Amino acid sequence: MTHRYVYGVMNDDPVEFETDAVGDADRVYTVSHRRLNAVVSDIDTTDPEETDEDAQRHDDVLREIMDRDGGRTIVPMQFGMAFENDRALKNVLRGARPAFRRAINDIEGREELGLKIVREEDAEVDTDALEEAIADELESIAAQSVPNDLFSDRLVLNRSYLVDRDERERFDEAVSVLEDEYDDLMFRYTGPFAPYSFVDVRIGAQQ
Amino acid sequence: MFILDDLLIRPFVGIVDTLHTMALSEMYDIEALEAELKENQLLYELGERSEEEYRQRKDELEEEIEIARDVHERLASGRVEVKR
Repeated sequence: MTHRYVYGVMNDDPVEFETDAVGDADRVYTVSHRRLNAVVSDIDTTDPEETDEDAQRHDDVLREIMDRDGGRTIVPMQFGMAFENDRALKNVLRGARPAFRRAINDIEGREELGLKIVREEDAEVDTDALEEAIADELESIAAQSVPNDLFSDRLVLNRSYLVDRDERERFDEAVSVLEDEYDDLMFRYTGPFAPYSFVDVRIGAQQ
Repeated sequence: MFILDDLLIRPFVGIVDTLHTMALSEMYDIEALEAELKENQLLYELGERSEEEYRQRKDELEEEIEIARDVHERLASGRVEVKR
């Protein structure tokens, strides 16, 4: 267990806690370089395999940090970033410092929510009109949003929203009003997640 | 352009081999399989698929994806034998 598995990067105070971490580690802590703290656990490989269990643990650790102290901000990494040692990781923190700063700034105090709308089999849906109606209600509350892949022909909308924690209640309510209004469609409203869809810091290639 | 490029780079590769390669990549379409994996998950979450159906389909699809990855790896390394 001599390598470092990275969950995300933050500039709040360091953390340390015991939990079920990726790769059967049991402790999560931070490796710091000038007030940027990478949240890590120890791991015995630099190329971890993405099992369902470890993907879940990765998410759980990020959630745990987001829920701390009334809501902390962490730039989430995708599953699978592991570094040889502290030095390699600190080099990346140094090199990608401006990118991390920008990302932290974008997501500070915000969380990601997902909305998928699914039609009944064989039902006809005017997707353009629906998209517009949804946008009218939700885009003004969300700080940002991005479209996601329509991976099934049953999906008529698949979007991720970045929402201020303070606006969360209003957003939930708007979704629920829409859900009542479109009762022939199925809504799958998920989250909150770490804002994966709204940060674009790639550090894997530099390890 | 795929065929042309491929033939220019490897002139000794016959057109039949190239078409065979293309057919194989299409048959083992990783993206389509991954999309179906996500659809399976979604339909389960919405309660349209039972846990048993969901698990069974998930296992099947994961196996197919693994096979497809293997085929693509072999195609990329030119280790697929073309028999005529």
